[in-house]
Amino acid sequence: MFHGKTTAWRRRIERADQLASENGPAASLLRFYARLLREQQKVCDGLAASPLSGSIEADVDRVSDCMHGILRAILECGPEQLAADARKILNGPGSVSRDLVLTYWGNRSDRMFFPKALLQAYCELVSQQDSATPRTQAAADENTCPNCGGQPQLSILDPSASASAEGSARQLQCATCLVTWPFRRVVCPSCGNEDERTLGYYESPTLPHVRVDTCDRCRRYLKTIDLGRLGLAVPLVDEVAGAPLDVWAGQHGYEKIELNLIGL
Amino acid sequence: MEISRRAFLQTSIAGGAALSVFGFDVAPVLAQARTLKISRTSETRSTCPYCSVSCGVIIHTLGDRAKNAVPQVVHVEGDPDHPINRGTLCPKGASLQQDILNDRRLVKPQVRRPGSDHWEDIDWDTAVDEIARSVKKTRDATFVTRDSRGRTVNRCESIAWAGGCTDTNELNYLVVKTMRSLGVVSLENQARV
Repeated sequence: MFHGKTTAWRRRIERADQLASENGPAASLLRFYARLLREQQKVCDGLAASPLSGSIEADVDRVSDCMHGILRAILECGPEQLAADARKILNGPGSVSRDLVLTYWGNRSDRMFFPKALLQAYCELVSQQDSATPRTQAAADENTCPNCGGQPQLSILDPSASASAEGSARQLQCATCLVTWPFRRVVCPSCGNEDERTLGYYESPTLPHVRVDTCDRCRRYLKTIDLGRLGLAVPLVDEVAGAPLDVWAGQHGYEKIELNLIGL
Repeated sequence: MEISRRAFLQTSIAGGAALSVFGFDVAPVLAQARTLKISRTSETRSTCPYCSVSCGVIIHTLGDRAKNAVPQVVHVEGDPDHPINRGTLCPKGASLQQDILNDRRLVKPQVRRPGSDHWEDIDWDTAVDEIARSVKKTRDATFVTRDSRGRTVNRCESIAWAGGCTDTNELNYLVVKTMRSLGVVSLENQARV
């Protein structure tokens, strides 16, 4: 039933390994991310062994039990800052993981690394099930995920998603459940600004398939992966590989809508 | 005190650490960011001017809006969100960039004299004078005030106007006013987009 999801995780891992092996400036970040993706895949495979209810409150014990793999990975190859947090969780009472998951679900924050990494695997898995999907509330705005109400992690331009090779349709990918949903072009995903004079994108020949879509009204941005320029790209991974553009955007006064799991 | 993400990164870099929010070393990334050649492009929604289907297009214009920089159109694509074409374009519409940037575009008037086998450049004043003279001569010679049954018609049947598909609303407005005032009835300006 979840074969498609396993394939998706495998593609992400392979892409992260490939980009890390190219020894670019983001190689160390990608090596860590590849390891994290492997742990997320294990979480996904473990949870897929038996059906989930689709309600985070009902599934929280099963989900939080899976956090140990991610914690161990951080202790082995994560930065000291995250490793210290991992030690606190491991040495704390058993309910810490559970509380972290519920706290994150009730009040999302891209600063909460562990529950976010864990729930990405869980929520994406649940979104593939026929049962009800986890949902804090119905998403009233199209700039939040229609599946779980989360913020967009990135934007995708996919020529195969539109009727012909001309004009790539845009999709946003949720930072929480990794589900993609269609979103209009030339609109700020943060504030809904449609003024073309204050919207734009920045790109570099160094990373031709990654661009920084900015809004000068709210001064926020997210990265867009253009699959029309590089069909082999895996958006979630190539977004991390585009870390230099995040640094550039930060230095030029733009704030990302949602930080990725590297913290950029 | 809550510290913003941007301020966090900047503070870390200023302190020599170059760490991400989660503590990852981003020094190599920072080094590359300093060498990146970054260009700004804006996307503008518009309507294909070629036919009355009115397909939506997105025009990509390179330029950082600096006063000393000339914006340049680098790409035109179908608008995937447009209800008429959903991102598709016909071959003519797909080549719209060449309508905007084309070194074969005529930038001054030309005339081919009766009996000549080539076009020659003329200046605008000469062109306007010659057109006005020809229009008046033709209209005066062929103007029809009454038809064969004696009804007043006041029309000019020997001049016709054929507008181009890229003509603007404003030009078409002037064309209709001018041609009607001359009595021209053979008038087509494709004012449908």
